[in-house]
Amino acid sequence: MSRPLVVVSLILGIVLGIVAVIYLIEPASGLPSFFPGHDAAGTAIHHSKHAIGAGILALALFAFAWFQSKPRKAT
Amino acid sequence: MITYVQAILLGLLQGVAELFPISSLGHTVLIPALLRWSIDRSSDAFVSFLVLTHMATALVLVGFFWRDWVQICLGLLRSLREREIRADDTYAKLGWLLIVSTIPAGIIGLLFEESLQAIFSAASVVAGALVLNGIVLLAIETLRGRSVEGGPHDDRKLAALSFTRAVLIGIAQCLALIPGFSRTGLTMAGGLASGLSHENAGRYSFLLATPIILAAAVLKVPDLFANGGQGVGEALAGAACAAVSAYLSVRFLVRYFETRSTRPFAIYCMIAGVAAFILVSLGL
Repeated sequence: MSRPLVVVSLILGIVLGIVAVIYLIEPASGLPSFFPGHDAAGTAIHHSKHAIGAGILALALFAFAWFQSKPRKAT
Repeated sequence: MITYVQAILLGLLQGVAELFPISSLGHTVLIPALLRWSIDRSSDAFVSFLVLTHMATALVLVGFFWRDWVQICLGLLRSLREREIRADDTYAKLGWLLIVSTIPAGIIGLLFEESLQAIFSAASVVAGALVLNGIVLLAIETLRGRSVEGGPHDDRKLAALSFTRAVLIGIAQCLALIPGFSRTGLTMAGGLASGLSHENAGRYSFLLATPIILAAAVLKVPDLFANGGQGVGEALAGAACAAVSAYLSVRFLVRYFETRSTRPFAIYCMIAGVAAFILVSLGL
């Protein structure tokens, strides 16, 4: 088990999960300005594809952490 | 608008070109341009057509490989339960390899698909990309030479791929977001470059194509309902034709790659790309 890798994966996974939720609930105009897809012009478009992208990455990171955190058998 | 004749012909073309390593996107841009069909690709009717033909192709792939998908899903669940991807668990490893290969194109596609297709939508650019697709396939076949032994499909050989190779195949798949490059062609090229036989590379490519095509179609379903079902009749006709031609194509290709290479498709792409470029440039 590589503890730092697991911790980093979990933190990144949680951050990306939050990003996915923000993309789902906020329209393009309501996104933070540093988010890809932010549109200050005030469009009501929801970037659901960005949300799915972030969600997939979050799940991949959680899966990675799940495998990495398996306790090793004592030999 | 898209007429029934256009929908049927483009549906047949979609089913074939999606699975043959010759770029479906490229052909659906080039053929209408060459036939002088004034199809508005952003119209509601065309969106309905795209959604349903892709859905049909994806469902055919799921149906054709359904036994493999059951094994792969069970393998994935098994590995999650055991918190380990065992080297001898072929389908668990294969499932994770497919997921890893899907991630690059999934992310890049979700974020940049529309802008990439807008930038590279000119028929002359698509023709150029088709030529490049042929060159890539031919280069891989030539470089690969006879160093890799062929042989029947063997999922253990697929599962023996490393995760790094799976990422590289996934990155190769990203290029297929540009119209003119073929997803099947590029993922097969990646598989061949990784030492797989044609049959194994083809099989990996078809398995890899399924979630991406299905996800792309499912994501566009809301567009289908948003436009009030405009052009659904024509789109359904196109989808039925796409399903038939996709089934015949995958059946043919699985057998074809048992003994043959991608060279004929590479040559076709180069000739078709050059011919299309000349015709489009001359305005014929």
